[in-house]
Amino acid sequence: MIRQVRKYLQKMATDGSASVDHSLILAKDDCLLWQGSAELLPLGQTLIERLNIISLVVAEPPLPICDVLLGRTSADAAEIIPQDTETRTFLHDIPVVRKDEFSVDNAQSIVDLLGQRKGILVEGVGIVATGSVTVEQAYINYSSVYHALFVKLMLQLLADDQPPSAQEMNLLQPLWAQLGTDIPLHCDDLLAGPLLEKADILKAIDQVGKRTVALKLVDSFFGNISCFVDDSLYISQTGASLDELPGCIDFVPNDNSSTAGITASSELIAHRAIFAKGNLRTILHGHPKFSVVLSLFCRETDCKITDCWKNCDKVRYLNDVPVVAGEVGAGGLARKVPPVIDCGIAVVYGHGVFATGDEDFRQPLSAMIDLENRCRNEFLQAVQARCTNETK
Amino acid sequence: MMGWTGQLLNVDLTTGRIWKEPIGEDLLQNYLGGRGLGVRLMRDYYRLDPFAPEIPLLFSVGPLCGTAAPTAARLGVVSRSPLTGTIYDCSAGGRFAWRLKAAGIDVLRIVGRSNSPVFLQIDSSGAKLHPADKLWGQRVGETVAALSEHGSVAAIGPAGENKVLYANIMMGEGNSVGRGGLGAVMGGKMLKAIVVDGDGKVDIADADRFAHARQDVIRLFKASPVIYGDLGIAQYGTPALVDLMGQRRMAPTENFRKTHFADAGNYSGPAIRKEFTPKNHGCYGCPIQCKKSAQDGTPLPEYETVNHFGALNNIKDLRSIVNSNNLCNQLGMDTISAAATLSAWGEVRGEFPRAENIGDLLLQTALRQGDGDLLAEGAQRLSQQLGKPELSMSVKGLELPAYDPRGAYGMALAYCTSNRGGCHLRAYPISHEILRKPVATDRFDFAGKARMIKIAEDCNATIDSLVACKFSFFGASLEEYAELLSATTGLEYTPQKLKEIGERIYLTERFYNLENGFAAEDDLLPKRFFTESGSSGDGIEVAPIDRERFVEEMQKYYRIRGLNEQGGFVDSTFLERQP
Repeated sequence: MIRQVRKYLQKMATDGSASVDHSLILAKDDCLLWQGSAELLPLGQTLIERLNIISLVVAEPPLPICDVLLGRTSADAAEIIPQDTETRTFLHDIPVVRKDEFSVDNAQSIVDLLGQRKGILVEGVGIVATGSVTVEQAYINYSSVYHALFVKLMLQLLADDQPPSAQEMNLLQPLWAQLGTDIPLHCDDLLAGPLLEKADILKAIDQVGKRTVALKLVDSFFGNISCFVDDSLYISQTGASLDELPGCIDFVPNDNSSTAGITASSELIAHRAIFAKGNLRTILHGHPKFSVVLSLFCRETDCKITDCWKNCDKVRYLNDVPVVAGEVGAGGLARKVPPVIDCGIAVVYGHGVFATGDEDFRQPLSAMIDLENRCRNEFLQAVQARCTNETK
Repeated sequence: MMGWTGQLLNVDLTTGRIWKEPIGEDLLQNYLGGRGLGVRLMRDYYRLDPFAPEIPLLFSVGPLCGTAAPTAARLGVVSRSPLTGTIYDCSAGGRFAWRLKAAGIDVLRIVGRSNSPVFLQIDSSGAKLHPADKLWGQRVGETVAALSEHGSVAAIGPAGENKVLYANIMMGEGNSVGRGGLGAVMGGKMLKAIVVDGDGKVDIADADRFAHARQDVIRLFKASPVIYGDLGIAQYGTPALVDLMGQRRMAPTENFRKTHFADAGNYSGPAIRKEFTPKNHGCYGCPIQCKKSAQDGTPLPEYETVNHFGALNNIKDLRSIVNSNNLCNQLGMDTISAAATLSAWGEVRGEFPRAENIGDLLLQTALRQGDGDLLAEGAQRLSQQLGKPELSMSVKGLELPAYDPRGAYGMALAYCTSNRGGCHLRAYPISHEILRKPVATDRFDFAGKARMIKIAEDCNATIDSLVACKFSFFGASLEEYAELLSATTGLEYTPQKLKEIGERIYLTERFYNLENGFAAEDDLLPKRFFTESGSSGDGIEVAPIDRERFVEEMQKYYRIRGLNEQGGFVDSTFLERQP
């Protein structure tokens, strides 16, 4: 287990979701194991000992997104409602504990909330998340909360009645610096198609999975990848880490002559429906942050739909890329995406991006990077303009 | 009080007396219903012989029964198992649970023994015993047909009447109270059937909160490939697992001598679909509808059944397997134990039964005729009597289901820690070791499994007490079900609180078992799994389980549970300290 603790502490640092100096993972086997920041240990230990769980992450994102978001949240708000679809589906809401509601010696308020939800936001500490099966699960929950808070904050800066203040912009300066540089269009070294042999397909999926994670085009490591050949799919398994795909690819015949692919990604239905359009060979699905943020930015007025993420029937556009709504799995996304993806890429409202290729994975990865870069630029300009306008 | 009726209906079959009594709110809130409440109500009776007239047979619904909570039209049936000698419960779905709750009853407690066969009729106005001499000896279908005009039926077949140790109680809609022989307990009481037809409604404390939580659950079902995926159980039923278990090389074959059956494709989910073009159906009010039937209504077998009447007995004929399943249902026998006992018998004799002989053997078993009298005793007793105890593939006398423990080490551990014997459903590690839910774990590694099993046992004890179907938890979690429970009852329940309740239930069961003579040596797999390899291939090595490592993890499990090195209670007053 200690190997797992070390692995996910490293992942949190690598994926940029946690400050290296302010992150801690604890795990309970028949004794307590931990790695990370010793200053967080007393609180972490108090929490894990009082909960019927296996693992706990206590960490603070490197950017002060928690502080900025809490600063924009009413002091009596008990929780933050995520905007992104995946978090709304799997975590529902993110409870908030304020500074004056706990201490290391009296952490009952945190215990109570962690007894209800998989991850919470604790003012002055950061994000605290649990796992009841594995260490990885606490990491995933941490990462999902981080993604949800990030998306929520970015959307507020972009569209909230309260424009970003100079102080907020200053606090988030490292982020603006990152957005000033494009994600490199680093695709040409991926295995070239056509991908016809199993060994090549598995290698290509492994390559593009690792690259997608390395370029931070997913939250934690989620997303899914498939390749269509001989009326069958090779598709990543549900919950598979895109940077650890060897051994986690299911072979799914299109004629359903085998159900061994029951462990395939929950988006198998969508992948099949997209391939049914013909001529496509590869699909890459990720959750690039700014594509997700801008997909949530709707300029419609007088619209009566409130649960846009599942009920919106409109096709909107991010530049020339279509945006549709739909819940994950069998929840509607599989019906909404295929009709609009002829251009090779589509965004699911508040969720992520599907990109297709007709030979290999260079094309979908390239399209996803291009879209994300455009969204980053558009977002940065819009937010800076809002802040400037406010200053004026 | 919302969610519960607070009423227990007593039926004494010896005296014919029927009366209601209130159930304390403290018990309801701390044990919920179903398994938990039933286990608690066995506190004064758990030492009784399963066939003693005084032993209670409890039908216990849960606080979510009667609401629109997904998969919650279920109940737990609790007593002591004649097969295993352990405390025993089984969760079953169907209209019966709903109608029982609608009659204003949380728990039906049956004690005593009638002098002649009877059936019990319950509706909202009361309950009455009727002679059932004409039904005695009838198969389940005939019994249900004779009584269904009076409501929803739970009945035993000839197997229960003849005290086959793995006799089921069958619900009229085809669901079973299976595995541990509670049908034999019912038969021992000369109670042929119960028919219920309540018409009350369950009020919900906070309808908006309930609706919101229900939407969350359905959304999670839709996001789960195992439930609603193209290849999931809503499409193919649990035989969707046949191909997967074959690919993972952990399908028990020939009494667990092998773990791969080349002809399993004959009875896979797609093969069943091709052969029968099945109709979907399922438990009352369940949105998943994982049960399948042929166009003529013949129920089609579950994964465990196809494997055990197939690979485990070296039979490749789908029609034979379907017939075996149907015959077991009609005779009122558990399919897993029936097939596993036949398989053990086959290995002892050096010849597995042939497909064409299975029907006769099942009939002989239910009637305790010829070889059937020994087969009716289950694999453990049969193997002992035939001088080959090592060939019973069982734990605590309960025959192992269709997941070979050499292919999933958490499953290996969980078979042994289960309080009702070798059952896959108590901790259900297949969920993460094979189906990757809620996250994937390494199936060939013991690391961390002791605590995973402990937590899952606590969760599942709660789920069995709500009562909800475990398949729901391929998508949803206790978070959503705690919301449903809070909304229904108006009391605040959290996942953490529910796990505490589950822990109390699990430990209570273990306490009963230890008091009845079970010990650490019973928390062990058959020797075969530590000494013989499975069927390696396709790059997967299925090695014998490292016994030293297994024991080490079991010791961890005991420590995590707060037990001593012998798996016993440090505090002998544990029970007295519980509500």
